[in-house]
Amino acid sequence: MSPALQGLITIFIGVGGCLAYFYGSNIFLDKVLFPAKGIHAGRNINRANMVRPWLFLMPALLALGLYLAYPVVETFRLSLSERLPGGASQYVGFDNYRRMFAEDKFWEAMRNNLLWLLIVPAAATALGLLVAQLTDRIKWGSFAKSLIFMPMAISFVGAAVIFKLIYDARPADQNQIGILNALWLQFDGGFGSVLILRVLPALMFAGFAAVVGYAAYLVGRPIVKPAAHVVEGIALKLLRVVGAVLLSWVAVLSALNVIDSATLAMPYGEQQTWLTIPFWNNFFLMVVLIWIQTGFAMVILSAALRGIPEDTIEAAIIDGANPFQIFFKIKVPQIMNTIVVVWTTITIVVLKVFDIVFAMTNGQWETQVLANYMYDKLFRSNDWGVGSASAMIIMLLVTPILVWNVYNARKEMR
Amino acid sequence: MFPRPIQSMSPASKVAYKIALPVMLVLWLLPLLGVAMTSIRPSGDLAAGNYFGIPSRLAFDNYLTVFRNTDLERYLLNSFKVTIPTVIGAVGLSCLTGFALAIYKFKSNLILFFIFVAGNFVPSQILMVPVRDLTVSMGMYNTTMGLALFHIAFQTGFCTLFMRNFIKALPFELVEAARVEGVSEWQIFRHVVMPLMRPAIAALSVLVFTFIWNDFFWAMVLTTGAATQPITAGLNSLNGQWIAAWHLVSAGSILAALPPVLMFFLMQRHFIAGLTLGAVK
Repeated sequence: MSPALQGLITIFIGVGGCLAYFYGSNIFLDKVLFPAKGIHAGRNINRANMVRPWLFLMPALLALGLYLAYPVVETFRLSLSERLPGGASQYVGFDNYRRMFAEDKFWEAMRNNLLWLLIVPAAATALGLLVAQLTDRIKWGSFAKSLIFMPMAISFVGAAVIFKLIYDARPADQNQIGILNALWLQFDGGFGSVLILRVLPALMFAGFAAVVGYAAYLVGRPIVKPAAHVVEGIALKLLRVVGAVLLSWVAVLSALNVIDSATLAMPYGEQQTWLTIPFWNNFFLMVVLIWIQTGFAMVILSAALRGIPEDTIEAAIIDGANPFQIFFKIKVPQIMNTIVVVWTTITIVVLKVFDIVFAMTNGQWETQVLANYMYDKLFRSNDWGVGSASAMIIMLLVTPILVWNVYNARKEMR
Repeated sequence: MFPRPIQSMSPASKVAYKIALPVMLVLWLLPLLGVAMTSIRPSGDLAAGNYFGIPSRLAFDNYLTVFRNTDLERYLLNSFKVTIPTVIGAVGLSCLTGFALAIYKFKSNLILFFIFVAGNFVPSQILMVPVRDLTVSMGMYNTTMGLALFHIAFQTGFCTLFMRNFIKALPFELVEAARVEGVSEWQIFRHVVMPLMRPAIAALSVLVFTFIWNDFFWAMVLTTGAATQPITAGLNSLNGQWIAAWHLVSAGSILAALPPVLMFFLMQRHFIAGLTLGAVK
């Protein structure tokens, strides 16, 4: 039998089975179990209505339980045990975690994940917002949008392969096929090079430092000067302190990079194997994800921008606000909720990032991330304990976002 | 119309504003253009170092070569065998669960809904080992069915969230009116709510199609070898085999990206509607 036919039959049986289940079980409930007639008609109708939602939910709940709830518990158990030869396992307490924390590769993965977390959501959201604003009132805006959005339809692996071509390096005596190297060889240290490779990055770092610094100020201000009539709990205050310190640290780091990028010696005229330059290669990998996720951010944010009431903007114009003020003080605050949603959605994608690193460097040259570290442990070193432990770490990192999302969904419901 | 902010800018910033978008577009499309160009470049050009110039001829036979020398069509077929059942299964299931959560008021309704929301955010890494063991013990390791079954279960969380919010936004009076008329619950679902859900079903189908088509992680975990692996995994191994044959790798990656990209362009409205609804609500 041809595979296509086989597939069709499976689909037919699956869908038919589902339909039969729902139709049959509803009939069974109404006609056999709690028939709406006789002396108990009223009671039976009530009972049937109590049972019915569960009929609709049951298959999905079973699937979720089997493939979601059970695995989470099981992974936790695995992370506390060690597989013995022969398939049995033995409880070892937190030994796996201890071994993992002693590994340099793990901390490297943590550092890189933190870098990804700081940069990718911020960059993708900012670029998405920029494009959304740029395309807002242009005739060919929707065409431009769909082009920028297109990478979203390409798989991470496909994107990784595409970018490998861009970063490719050939030996010095050959022409360079990688677009980045071909561009790089155009720079010779002249005026253009200084402008693009020193002034531009310095400006970008300075801008980033300023934005982060301002964010730190916003987060930290209520500690020093509490707003009237707002009482904050001790936990929130603590969170503010930690956030402010972290943000100012990032700001200082990027401010230092301004000096760095202005004075760094550049190997002009030599082809670079971009993916093997420690630390910086992380950024080349991040570009791939930013390339994909910007489209997502743009689509959502542009819908939000459209939803802003015109009269608020009108009022601002009449009051003499300049375009920047309109954008940052009128538009952005009104779509802040959407920005946060986009940010957290991308953050979750970033925490789970695996395909790109796996396909491009496989964690070599100091580009390891947690998800790939875990895959490495499980399938290459066959170390199930440590692998599960690192999975628990990823879960731990996702949990705050998860809780926050559930909390928000709840708030919306009220 | 009131004066638009863009017109009150100085000429210099107006120019910058107008140039910014084309520049960004070119930057964004550069990788794709590069790959598309490379994929129709004959291997002779690559050997001679003509990487960026005009190709000496349009070598569409690169695509044929990819098909002839690799299992690409097998991989593509596998992708369809995983993706289509998943779309049908996940969307079908979530129509029902979404209906139940949106229409019926019962005690654990909220809690169940939160479980679906939370399930949406569980990282796949934490599921990997147990799901693999489970699939092996069910005898479905290394089958497209096993992969599809897992995808259905995992996608149901997101789809339910989506459907529930969509049905919740429908006018509830319709259901009430039908109930007063004595229509059975199943009939209400089938004849009142289902027809109104068509846009949501379209949007969700397109979304799930791209999600599943582009999945790589689970393909690596649950399948091995050309007989069962989908195109994403195939592309990765293709890339490993032909480290220097960039024209073939490019052709392969374009072929792999074609179905979701086509889907995206044909159903763009639904795709974007789906993303917006899924993210904002």
